[in-house]
Amino acid sequence: MSSDKKTAVLETIYQALRTLNEERGPDDQIAIGPDTCLFGEGSALDSLSLVSVIVDLETAVSDQFGKPISLTDDKAMSRDPVPFTDVTALKTYILELLA
Amino acid sequence: MPALTLHGEFVDLRPLVPDDAALTLRWRMDERAANLNRGAETVAQQAAWIAGRPASEYNFVICLKDGRGVGMVSVSNINPVNLHCEPGRFLIGEADAVRGIPVAVEAMKLVYELVFEQLGLQRVFGTIVSNNTLMMKWQKFLGMKEEGRMRRHYFINGQFQDAVMFGMLVEEFRAEALPRMNALIAAARPRGSATI
Repeated sequence: MSSDKKTAVLETIYQALRTLNEERGPDDQIAIGPDTCLFGEGSALDSLSLVSVIVDLETAVSDQFGKPISLTDDKAMSRDPVPFTDVTALKTYILELLA
Repeated sequence: MPALTLHGEFVDLRPLVPDDAALTLRWRMDERAANLNRGAETVAQQAAWIAGRPASEYNFVICLKDGRGVGMVSVSNINPVNLHCEPGRFLIGEADAVRGIPVAVEAMKLVYELVFEQLGLQRVFGTIVSNNTLMMKWQKFLGMKEEGRMRRHYFINGQFQDAVMFGMLVEEFRAEALPRMNALIAAARPRGSATI
């Protein structure tokens, strides 16, 4: 897996989170980083916000890498941990889908 | 409609009652509810509005499993001839209490299971204010199809907004929406817990 692709996927996730922050109030901003917890215990996101990130990510990855992906199919949900625990887990999962 | 409580894994939906007036009015006055139509401005007005809901509607408070109310949702315009209805008045009022919990998705799942599986309806529909991009992404992801646009349909916060029309059929709910809802609910389960 090329370092460029890892960096590009991570930046795509960060961009989806930045877009989410644009939809949220100034007191409701999410701190963005590799350890940002996306869903489940300790998360800053509710399910509406998580869906916003998923939709933006699926679209951006498909556009950027030319391969449609689904982040909420049975394959994703059968993983332990699921890909939404934090940004790093999500990046790893997307890279697997793109491999 | 009979007083009905719907039970989920993370949330329950219980009937909205006039005693919920102060709580729900606070939610409606919050910035997060800016895209809803303006309604009551006092607790008394809100209580009167709740008391005046017709028997043909379902109006629910979304509760966490500890009983705490965190939002509301309704089902109105139930048409027993054409077999459709309009879920709406969907509002999460306690943002801090629902982080990391699939409150919104499970509340909508319970509503859709009520209308499609218990009431036997064929279609749900609704409108979203055109600048509410978060809600439109949400509805599309969960299976709603964009069906049209009514121009300058709402006057909210001092400006006209289009209303984007959405709808979903029962087979679309079963094939697309339900699996995605179940996936999001599963994502919130503590690791190593049994699948319900």
